[in-house]
Amino acid sequence: MRSLRIGFLLGFRQIQRANIWTTALIIFVMMLTFLNLIAVSGILVGLIAGSERAVQEKSIGDIIITPLDSEEEILQTETIRRTFETIPEIQSYSIRYQQGVQLAANYKTRRDLNAEPNTIGTQAVGIDPVAENAVTGLSENIVEGEYLNPNESGYILIGALNLDRYTAGFADITGSLENVFPGDSVRATINGASREFVVKGIVDAKAGGVASFVYLPEKELRRLSNSPGRNADEIVIRLIDKTPETAIAVKSVLLAQEIDSYAKVRTFQEALPKFISDIKQTFNILGTFIGAVGIIVASITIFIIIFINALSRRQQIGILKGIGIDRKAIEIAYVLQSAFYALTGSLLGALVTYGILVGYFDRNPIDFPFSDGILVAEPLGTFYRFIILFIITLFAGFVPAWIIVKQNTLNSILGRK
Amino acid sequence: MPIIHATNIHRKFGEGNLTTHVLKGIDFSVEEGEFVAIMGKSGAGKSTLMYQLSVLDEPTEGDITVHQTDIIRLNEQERTSFRLNTLGYVFQNYALVPDLSAEENVMLPLLMRGFDWQGAKQSARQAIDGVGMAGKYTNLPAELSGGEQQRISIARAVAGKPKILFADEPTANLDTVSGTQVIDLITKVNKEEHQTVVMVTHEREYAMGCNHIFHMEDGVIVDIEQLT
Repeated sequence: MRSLRIGFLLGFRQIQRANIWTTALIIFVMMLTFLNLIAVSGILVGLIAGSERAVQEKSIGDIIITPLDSEEEILQTETIRRTFETIPEIQSYSIRYQQGVQLAANYKTRRDLNAEPNTIGTQAVGIDPVAENAVTGLSENIVEGEYLNPNESGYILIGALNLDRYTAGFADITGSLENVFPGDSVRATINGASREFVVKGIVDAKAGGVASFVYLPEKELRRLSNSPGRNADEIVIRLIDKTPETAIAVKSVLLAQEIDSYAKVRTFQEALPKFISDIKQTFNILGTFIGAVGIIVASITIFIIIFINALSRRQQIGILKGIGIDRKAIEIAYVLQSAFYALTGSLLGALVTYGILVGYFDRNPIDFPFSDGILVAEPLGTFYRFIILFIITLFAGFVPAWIIVKQNTLNSILGRK
Repeated sequence: MPIIHATNIHRKFGEGNLTTHVLKGIDFSVEEGEFVAIMGKSGAGKSTLMYQLSVLDEPTEGDITVHQTDIIRLNEQERTSFRLNTLGYVFQNYALVPDLSAEENVMLPLLMRGFDWQGAKQSARQAIDGVGMAGKYTNLPAELSGGEQQRISIARAVAGKPKILFADEPTANLDTVSGTQVIDLITKVNKEEHQTVVMVTHEREYAMGCNHIFHMEDGVIVDIEQLT
């Protein structure tokens, strides 16, 4: 206890009397280390989290209902739809109908029959434009032209990945339509039946599939495919509260009403492919590894700082020992300095992370090719990383102090080697 | 019984052909309450002798008893504790902690001895007052002159009322006026507090208030001069 008290007095005064710019520089280095530890793994994980968020918000909603494994469509679609009306947690839902479709673009102008036809095979999604927009905000993904108007017919939206100008790198592999712009006519063929549509808009989004489909009102799809009584292929639900807990609770309500007899009900988390969570975990490990390198660099920095500090005070340390001050007290003084640097640097780092970076990247995601990356910094994970950084820094502060303090007292006093 | 009793003290440095034999079988004895000086030319071994007696170094050979404790048998921790509780030091270069104020420097060994903060502060201020530095409690060492720093150093050494005060050339870095003030303070400690003082000095005039002067040459005591 006495050693602790004296250690605190010596350490506190050393910090207090130290050169303010040196102290600021050390704290800045510690802050960068903390940010490196949190932000690198946070952005790597955020790559996937951003993708997940986009899929949840723009594609599959908070709960998704799909056909049973043994069925091709959702049974009793209307019964299921009526069930939604009794669940107050449901904010909106969109019933989708899907059908393979062939789109042709140059059928009017094509004169050379030997030339390559401007066609593509893709998936058509029949939607209620208003309901779909309420769940996935599809209209916000229009990059050219306009969104579907529920009062109009004969219009179609085309996903950008079906167009050559959006798929420059891999159009040869997937096939694409050339020179198709809003206002152009395309011919859609389903099961041998064809109809002409005017392209109303182009849809693009970094969310699984959204940009690879074509969209048209569900009534027109069913009419074209000649299946007016057809059940839906997919129902996506948006909840008022988007948390996984609420999704699980609403799923339970749906299961209690035996919806699982007609279709497969999955929360967003359950519907995510396993490889996504695997990639997320991999990136997390990668980020932790990179962060660990940062910790090693920081610990070496602290070691050098404390070593130089203690070495330059070697004579003073010898005198302190000479007048009877316990070794532990002197070591505590240096460990306290390390703790101060680690704590202040980490607090500043946390302030920057949660006060600036997380919010900033949330509003301005990083534009990665396959996702809009955000910064994921789970408070518990951050706390664990801080504890690791703190402990290692304490150790890095203790070792050089221990090396200097254990030297012969008289040699230290006289400055002898 | 002497408060310091050393017999056949040898101190060698280095090994083999490079061995330097600094102390060559010294016998040394000081009674409680005495003020003694060790004098000699540079390299005579006077500081080395003081380091052995003040438990800062260990002799290569010989026995030393200080305040009825066989200090040769003490381990590192016991030696530190012994120095804290029994001995006081005044170093040539003042040896104050530059980051601590004058009173905090004096408080340091008191806190280590278990004084509470207020008790240590009170004792420290009394000691500082005693060396004529009242009002300089919160000054940092850098804000004090050499003589003032040495007086604070004396205050630190005597605040805990040690049995023996060791002073290693306490006037070496001071002008004549400051040097005289420091010697007067050490003499006062010896006379008024009856603390035993062992002082190493080059200057004879500063040793004139002592009971004896141990004269050293080439690692041995060649004369013990009785003054009072």
